[in-house]
Amino acid sequence: MKIIKNIKIALASGLLLFSTSACWELEQEVLTGIPQENLIITDELIEVLKQSAYGSVSVGGSWGGHDGIYAVQEVSSDEMAIPQKGADWEDGGIWLRTHRHTWLAVDGPYNNAWGYCFGIVGETNNLLVQFPDIPELAAEMKILRALAYLWLIDNFGNVPIITETSLGSIPQSPREEVFAFIEESILENVDVLTRDNVRINLNYWTAHMILAKLYLNAEVYTGNARWADAERILDVIINEGPYSLAPNFFANFVTNNANSPENMFTLPYDSNNNGGFNIHQMSFHYGNQQTFELQEQPWNGYAALEEFYNSFDDGDVRKGSLREGPQFQSDGITPVIDDAYDGDPDGPELVFTPQINELAPNAFRQAGTRVNKFEIQLGAGPDLNNDFPVFRYADVLLMKAEAAWRQGNNAVALQFVNQVRERANVPNLTTLDANTLLAERGREMFAEGWRRSDLIRFGRFNQPWWEKGTSQPFRNIFPIPLNVIQANPIYQQNPGY
Amino acid sequence: MRNNLQKLRVFLLFSALMVASVLAANAQTREVTGTVLDGTLKDPLPGVSVVVKGTTRGTVTDLDGNFRLSVQSGDEALVFSFVGFETYEVAIGNQSTFNIELDEDIQSLQEAVVIGYGTQDKKEITSAVTSVGREDFNRGNFTNPAQLLQGKVAGLSVTRPGGNPNALPEVRLRGISSFGANQSPLYVIDGVIGGTIDMVDPNDIETIDVLKDASAGAIYGTRGAAGVILITTKKGSSKAGFANVQVNTFGTYEQATNLIPVLSPEEFVARGGVDFGSRTDWRDEVTQSPINATTNVTLSGGFENTNYSASVNYRNNDGIVKGTNRETLNTRFNLNHGALNNRLRFNVNLFLNNTDATDVNGEAVRYATIYNPTAPIFENGEENVNDQFGGYFQRPLFDFYNPVAMINQQQFNTQVKTAVMAYRVEYDITDKITVSGQYTQDRLNTLRGASFSRQDFQVGFGRLGQAEQETFDRFTSIVTGTIRYEDEIFDGMNFTLLLGGESQMFNERGFTAASTRFLQDQGWNNLGAGGLRLGPGTEMSSFANRAVLNSAFARANFNYRNIYFLSASVRSETYSGFGSDNQTGYFPAVSLGADLSQALDMGIFNQFKIRGSFGIAGQRPQEPTLALAIFQNGNRIPLDPDNPNSVFVGINQTTNPNPQLKWETTTEYNFGLDYGIFNGKVTGTMDYWRRNVADLLFNTFIGRGVPNPFLPGAFNRVDNTWANVADFESSGFEFLASVNNIQLGSVSWTPSVNFTIYQRPKITSLGAGGIQLPELRAGVPGAPGQNNNPIVWNRLGERIGDFYGPRTLGVTEGGELINTTNNPDDFERLGNALPTGDFGFSNTFIYGSWDLNFLLRGSWGHMIYNSFRGFYENADGASTTWNSVITNNTPTSPLVTSTPTFSDLYLERGDFLRLDNLQIGYNVASRSNNISNFRLYAGVQNLFTITQFSGVDPEVRWTDSADDNNPLAPGIERRNTYFLPRIWQLGLTISIK
Repeated sequence: MKIIKNIKIALASGLLLFSTSACWELEQEVLTGIPQENLIITDELIEVLKQSAYGSVSVGGSWGGHDGIYAVQEVSSDEMAIPQKGADWEDGGIWLRTHRHTWLAVDGPYNNAWGYCFGIVGETNNLLVQFPDIPELAAEMKILRALAYLWLIDNFGNVPIITETSLGSIPQSPREEVFAFIEESILENVDVLTRDNVRINLNYWTAHMILAKLYLNAEVYTGNARWADAERILDVIINEGPYSLAPNFFANFVTNNANSPENMFTLPYDSNNNGGFNIHQMSFHYGNQQTFELQEQPWNGYAALEEFYNSFDDGDVRKGSLREGPQFQSDGITPVIDDAYDGDPDGPELVFTPQINELAPNAFRQAGTRVNKFEIQLGAGPDLNNDFPVFRYADVLLMKAEAAWRQGNNAVALQFVNQVRERANVPNLTTLDANTLLAERGREMFAEGWRRSDLIRFGRFNQPWWEKGTSQPFRNIFPIPLNVIQANPIYQQNPGY
Repeated sequence: MRNNLQKLRVFLLFSALMVASVLAANAQTREVTGTVLDGTLKDPLPGVSVVVKGTTRGTVTDLDGNFRLSVQSGDEALVFSFVGFETYEVAIGNQSTFNIELDEDIQSLQEAVVIGYGTQDKKEITSAVTSVGREDFNRGNFTNPAQLLQGKVAGLSVTRPGGNPNALPEVRLRGISSFGANQSPLYVIDGVIGGTIDMVDPNDIETIDVLKDASAGAIYGTRGAAGVILITTKKGSSKAGFANVQVNTFGTYEQATNLIPVLSPEEFVARGGVDFGSRTDWRDEVTQSPINATTNVTLSGGFENTNYSASVNYRNNDGIVKGTNRETLNTRFNLNHGALNNRLRFNVNLFLNNTDATDVNGEAVRYATIYNPTAPIFENGEENVNDQFGGYFQRPLFDFYNPVAMINQQQFNTQVKTAVMAYRVEYDITDKITVSGQYTQDRLNTLRGASFSRQDFQVGFGRLGQAEQETFDRFTSIVTGTIRYEDEIFDGMNFTLLLGGESQMFNERGFTAASTRFLQDQGWNNLGAGGLRLGPGTEMSSFANRAVLNSAFARANFNYRNIYFLSASVRSETYSGFGSDNQTGYFPAVSLGADLSQALDMGIFNQFKIRGSFGIAGQRPQEPTLALAIFQNGNRIPLDPDNPNSVFVGINQTTNPNPQLKWETTTEYNFGLDYGIFNGKVTGTMDYWRRNVADLLFNTFIGRGVPNPFLPGAFNRVDNTWANVADFESSGFEFLASVNNIQLGSVSWTPSVNFTIYQRPKITSLGAGGIQLPELRAGVPGAPGQNNNPIVWNRLGERIGDFYGPRTLGVTEGGELINTTNNPDDFERLGNALPTGDFGFSNTFIYGSWDLNFLLRGSWGHMIYNSFRGFYENADGASTTWNSVITNNTPTSPLVTSTPTFSDLYLERGDFLRLDNLQIGYNVASRSNNISNFRLYAGVQNLFTITQFSGVDPEVRWTDSADDNNPLAPGIERRNTYFLPRIWQLGLTISIK
C-alpha cells in the first residue's frame, strides 16, 4: 500500500516537473540577419555600410528604371511618352496623365519617387545616428542626403527636413528652407570629401555639382537667381577637377563604361549584383528579344516624341541615342515580325517610325523611336550592366554655358556649348538663345533624367506639345503622394492639388 | 473385452434414444440465428442480450455479434438490449434469420464533446460549440477534412474556388478574424495541437467539434483566436480480443464544367482577330477527364487494457487540367494502454503523411481561355526537339504564350512530408485528481522543384533553361502539463478545475538554389549543370527563425443539478516575438447557461438551454523578429571594383523595427439557445455573436525616411511597418435545426438546415504610431493595363471589402463606355465582397437498406470582380491578339470597344445555390460471418449551381490569391482560377473480422 502511494507521488511530481520545467527562454533569437547590437564594428563593416547606403540610390525603379522617379522625369517631359496600346500600358491612365500633366496625388509613380528620395534620407540618417564619430563618413552621408533633397526640392518643393536628430512627426519646410538646408549641408561638409575620382561615391567635385545644380535652379526654387554662384562653383569643377569629355559620345553609355573620363557620379548597376537599370526592357518592342537575344521579353513602353527626334541633325552622332527603322533578329538579316498586326502602315515587319499615330488608346505597337543610348549587350538580362551617369562632365559644360549666357556672357557660353557639339560632330553654334540652349541640352542629356527640370527652368514645362495642352504652373512640382499625406496628417498638400 | 462390448451396446442404445428424443423435440421448437450491428458504425455488437419476449429464455451475441437461439411455436417476439442502445423488439413470425441494427440511445448516452484539454458532456457546454459526427459529413472525394464540414456548420465557411487538387480550402469561422495574423482556425487532432489539417485523412475522422466563440477557443490562447476545430479520429475498441478491418475504396471520374464561353475561331476572325490559319480549342487541349482512386484501410482492435487503431490512406488524384496531380499516402497509428486498473494511461499518436503534388503554371489556365483560337499547337504539326521552342507555335507578342507548351515545358513539384508524434501520460492520483503530461513534435518538410525548359518561351528561352529547388522545414515542439480536479463540492454542485502549463517552440528553416543556362534540359535534379548561378533566375539563399510561446492556463466548470452551468478560464501567454514590454497577454473567458426545461415545465420543449459567453483571444504576428532592428542582405558590393575577390553582400535593414508591437485581441460575446422539441424529434441551436478585434496586426504604410514612430532615433528604411493598426467590429446570427427521422411511409427522412447572417466587419479605428489613416487600399487587377488602381478600399468607419470605382452609365453607339468619372478622387462605393449570409440544407433518406444523402449549399450578398470579363470581353484593340470572353453578362449590342478599365460593369453578384454533394448507398446483407458490413455507394459533387455570376466559381473569395492571400482584397476572381470540376464517384466499404 505504501509502495503504491510512493509510486503515485513520484509519478505525479514527475509529470508536474515535466510540465513546468519545459518553458523555453523567451529572448527572441535572430537566426538570419544580424541584430544591430551584434554588429562587429570594423573598417570593412563601415565601408560596406556606406556602400549599402549608396545602394539605396541605385535601387530598382529609380534611375534607368520604371515606375519611379526616372519615369516621372521622362514621361512628364517632351522627350518621351508611354503610348497606350489597347489594354497594354493603360495602367489606370497614370502614364497618360503624366504625359498630359494631369497627374493625381494617388498615382503610384509619384509615391515611389517620394519614397525613393526619403529612403536615401532614412538610410543616411540611420548611419549618422549609428556612427556619429567618423567625420569622413558623416560628411559624405550628409552630402548624399543633400543629393536626395536636391531631387526632393526639384520634384516636390515643400518637404520635411529630416536629419539624424529628428524625432516624431516633422512638418514640411518651405522650398527656401529646403534650399538653405541643401546649400548648408554641402558647404559645411564638402572639404572633408575626397578629391579622388571615385565615381560610384560622392566626392569633392560631385558635391560641387549638387551645389551647382541647386544654384542653377535657384530662381525656380526660391525666386532669387544665383547664376554667378552657379558659374563660380562650375568653374571649380572645370578648372580643378579630374574630368574631360570622352572622345566618343557613346563611350559613356556602353556596357563597360566604368572608366569613362566624363562620368562623374554613376550608379554601379550590374546585371548580377546590383539590378535596376531596365531601360531596354521599358522601351523596346516585344520582338526585340530576338534582336538582342534578351533573357526576358521587353515591354514596348517608352518611346521618343517625334518632335524630339526631329530636333537632331542628321549628322549628329547623338541621333543614335534613338533607334529607328526596321528591326532584325540577332543575325542582322532576318526581320522581326509582329504577327498580331494591328493596322500599322509598316505592315507586320517591325519598323520603328518617329511618328506615333496617337497617344491613346490605340497607338501602333511599332510606333515611335526607342531609347538606344545605352548599349544593350547581346544576351542581356532584364538588368543592364551599364553604369547610369547621374552627373556627367558634358552636363557641367552645358551648365557653365547656360550660367554664362544667363549673365549675358555669350562668348563664354558659346565656347562651352561648342565643346559639346564638336564631340557630337555637328557644326559650332554662332549665336545662342533659350531655344538653342535648351535643345542642345535635350540632345546631349536625352534619357538621363534632367529634361523635366530643364524645361521648368527654361519656362517651357507648361507649354503645349504633342498630345499635351497648356498646363498650370502648379504642375511644376508634384503633389505630395496620397499615401504620404494620409500617413502624415500634418503635411499640407502642394498648392493646386 | 466382453465388458467393453457390453459398454458399447449400452452407449449405442443410449445414443439412439437421445437422437430420437431430439428429433421429437425438434418438432416443437426451431432454431433462429442472426447478427446484431451497431446501427451507426455498422460494427458487430458483442454481448447483446437476446431474449424471447416474456420468458427468461435467451442468449448473448458472440464477439462477432452473432447469436443462435431456439424458439418455440408460441413465442411472439425477440427483444434485443444493450447498454447505451435503444432496446429493439422484433416479431418472430416465420423468420429464421434476424439481422438487427441497434441505434444508440441518445437520451441515455452522455454525448461527450471535445473541448480544449478535455471533454465535456454536451449538455454542460455553455459556449458556441458545434459537433459533427461522421454520419453527417459531406459525402464525396474530399482531400481535405475541412471540406467534410462545408455547409454543415453555421458560421463556418469552407471555400475552395476552382478544382485544383493541390489547392487548400480557405476556412473562416465567423468571417474575417484578422488582417495580417493567422486567419484560419487552429486544428487539434486527438488532443494534438497544430500541424496542418492535411495530416489526417477524411476517412479516419470520427467527429469534428467546432469551437466557434472566443470563450471556447480562449483556452488555446493565441493559436485559437481564429476559432478551433477539434478532430477526433476513429479509435480502437476496448473490447478484449476484438479486431476489425475496414476497407473503403472508391473511384472518381471528373470532368471540367462551367468553362467561360469564348468566341469561336470564326467569330474571333470576324471581329478582326489575327488568323493564323488553324483551329484549336485550347481548353480541350489542356483539360482531361481523369479517373482517380482512393483507398483507405483501418485496422482496429484491443486486448485487455490496450487498444489500438491504425490506418493507411492512399489517394491519387489527377486534376482536370493536364499535368496536375496529387498523390498522398497517409498513415496513422494510435495506441492506448491503461495500467494500474486503468488509473495510469499511456497514449501514443503518430501521423505520417507524404504528399507529392505536381502542378502547372496557373497562368496556363488563363492562356487556355484567351489564346488565339486560330493558332496551331505546333508550328509544323508536331513536336520538334531541335526547334527553339520545341516545335510549339509561339509568337513574340505581349503576354502571349502557348498554353500547351507552358504545361509541357514548365514543371512544378512539391513533396511534403508531415510527421506528428504525440506522447501522453495521464494518472489518476485519486478518483478526483488527474495529472497529465504530453509532448508533441510536429514536423513538416517541404521539397519543391521548378524547372523551365530551354524551349519554354515564357521563362526558360531567354535564359537557356532555368531550374530551382527549395526546401522548407518547420518543426514545432510542444510540452503540455495539466492537473484536473473533479468533485461534487456540495449537494448537486459538480465542479471541475483544470490547471495547465504549455510551452511551444516554433522553428523554421529553408534553403533555395536556382541556376540558369543549361546545355540541355536536366530539370531540378542537377542544378550544377546550370552555367549561371548569379543574376536573374538564380538564387542561393537560406534562412531560419525560431520563436517561443509560453503559456499557463486555468479553467473551472460548475454544474448545478444539470440545470445551471458556469465555465470560466484564463490563459496567459508570453511570446518572444513582441517587444520586451509587450510579450505577455492575458486572455480570460467566462460562459454560463441554464437548461430551463430541467427546472420548469417547458411544455413541448425537452431542452431549452440559454447561454451567454464572453472571451478574449490573442493573436501574434506570423514572423517572430519584427520588433527587432536586424540587418539583412543588400546588393553585392565589390569594395574594390578592380578586384573580383573584394565582393561583399551589403547590409541593410529591410524592415522597420517595431518594439511596441503587441498582441492583437479578439473580444467576443455570444448569446445562444439550444433547444429540443417533442422529445428530441426536433433539435437545434441559435447563436448571436458580436466580435471586436483590436490592435490588428498589419504591414502598414508609414513612409520611408521619417523617424520611426515606434523606435525614437531610428529612421524608416522601407515604406511599410508591421504595427497594430486597426480595430473592427462584426456580428452575426447562426441558426441550426434538424428533424430526426420523419417517417414518410417506409422512408425515413432527416433534414437539417443551417444558416448564418453576417454583419460585415466595420473598421472602427485605423492608424498606427499616433497616425490616423483614412483607408487601406488593395486589390490591383493587374497586367495588362490595370496595374495601378486598387479596387478594394477599406475605409475607416466603413465595411471591409468595399469595391470603389466608377459606375458605368451606358455605352455610346460607337461602343465607348460612359463612366461616371475617371478620377479616383470621385470613385464611389460599388458593392462589397463579403457575404451577408451562408446556408446549408442537408438531407438523409433511409429506405430499407438504401440511403440517400445530399447537401444544398449557398452564400449570398457578396460581389465578385470577374477578372476575365474585366480584361477580355471588350472588343478593343487588344482583342485582335487575344480571344474574347462572351458571357451572359457581357454587353453585346453594341459591343464595348473601350479599353478595359475597372467599373461596376465587371462586378457581379455572387449569390449562389449549389447541389454540392449527393450520395446513394446500399448496404448489402452479409451472409458471411467474416463480413460485418458491405456497402456500395455512388455519388456526385457539384451537380449544379444556380447563380448569376458568369465567372468560374461564385464561391466567396475571402482573400486575394494574387497578393499573398491579403484579406483586405476579397472578392476578386483572378484569371488563373483553376477550372471547376464535376466529380462522379463509385465506391464500396467493407468491414472484415
